[in-house]
Amino acid sequence: MIEDHERIDELLAGYALLALSGDDADEVDRLLTDHVPGCARCRETLAGFQALSGDLALATSPAPLPETVLPRLHRSIEETPVAGRRLRRGALVALAASVVAVAAMGGLSLVLGGRLSEAETRAGTALEILSLMRSPGAEPVSLEPRGETPPSSGLVEVSGVQTLYLASDNCPPPSEGHAYQLWLGADGEWIPVGQMFAPDNGVVLLELEVDTSAYDGIWITEELIGPPPETPNTSGWAWSASL
Amino acid sequence: MREDDTYDLELHRRLSSRDRSAFDELFRRYGASAHGVALRVTAQELIAQEVVQDAFMALWRAPEAFDPARGAFRSFFLSLVHHRAVDAVRREERLRKRAERAANLEPASDEDPAEGVVEHAYLNVRRKEVRDALGILPAEQRQALEMAYFGGMTQKRIAEELGIPIGTVKTRTLAAMRKLRAALDESENE
Repeated sequence: MIEDHERIDELLAGYALLALSGDDADEVDRLLTDHVPGCARCRETLAGFQALSGDLALATSPAPLPETVLPRLHRSIEETPVAGRRLRRGALVALAASVVAVAAMGGLSLVLGGRLSEAETRAGTALEILSLMRSPGAEPVSLEPRGETPPSSGLVEVSGVQTLYLASDNCPPPSEGHAYQLWLGADGEWIPVGQMFAPDNGVVLLELEVDTSAYDGIWITEELIGPPPETPNTSGWAWSASL
Repeated sequence: MREDDTYDLELHRRLSSRDRSAFDELFRRYGASAHGVALRVTAQELIAQEVVQDAFMALWRAPEAFDPARGAFRSFFLSLVHHRAVDAVRREERLRKRAERAANLEPASDEDPAEGVVEHAYLNVRRKEVRDALGILPAEQRQALEMAYFGGMTQKRIAEELGIPIGTVKTRTLAAMRKLRAALDESENE
């Protein structure tokens, strides 16, 4: 596909400012996955716009924080467990280092990994997810492979109050012509959530705004790429867990 | 790389080793700037404080999310704070109230940093560079940029507010970003 770089620059500028919506957001998602990683010009443009996004904060006057804030942070730090985390630190570091892009799909964000050049693109999102995984009260739940799914390819789900994160650094690629679909279930009824996704170099990070208390199970299945499936495919690779 | 950026990298390295004094130093260096932008975007003191605290805690919990090879810590962290502030505004659906209150807040112009804030000299230098760069923008470009960045508005919303085509908003925004980049790159290399 021949890309119009002027239009891409417009989208990247809006993306860096968090100002895109609708079709533009969808388009930049596609570009961040399909075009930007292989285009040195666009990588440089995006990096420049994102650095600018940080520096623009300095256009505001500094505002002193109340003296209570730092002690409050110290207390939060004391309450943050350092040892005994249920997640492997190495795996998380690998996730953070390989984050490349976020594709906003309605309430769902898909972070694909593997290309360091775009690590900065959504470093904030990676930080968000990693931070939540390590925050007090977070209860990561392992999603167990089902059927013939390789046993070493587990995913981890972490429930926040209204946010569900799905992460893996060793998710196998789906079969040709297939992608993965996330389902949430209640009382045996399963609904597909968000668009289908595929890992990039094994890395998957999903962020989903959803009240997980309304569901009792999560299921990830391998589906044919195309219209959203109506029922989970039980013959491909799959993972599941109770919520 | 500027000396202070190098020092930030050292602080970040120590932070990654769970060095609390490095955390405190980063808080002293960036707390007020983070609060400034969070306050400007959210226009709500308590939410702004929450945004800043959450950003610092996120940094403490997962310092490796910043990749030193990708640029200055300053840009990374303040961008993170801005993202969180915009998220907070949108999540809370306070855009309308914020717009009303924003009229009473200071503009991002050439005002001096708030009195009583002891800020590292290099941040003052960069602050002046950013403001000078904003000052060279044509009014309509600056308006589009500030409505997005400080107003947390989408380009679609900006177009509606201004009564202009969204394509015009995009064009103005891109022109503004390019000019700012060029001006700040030039400052950095001087």
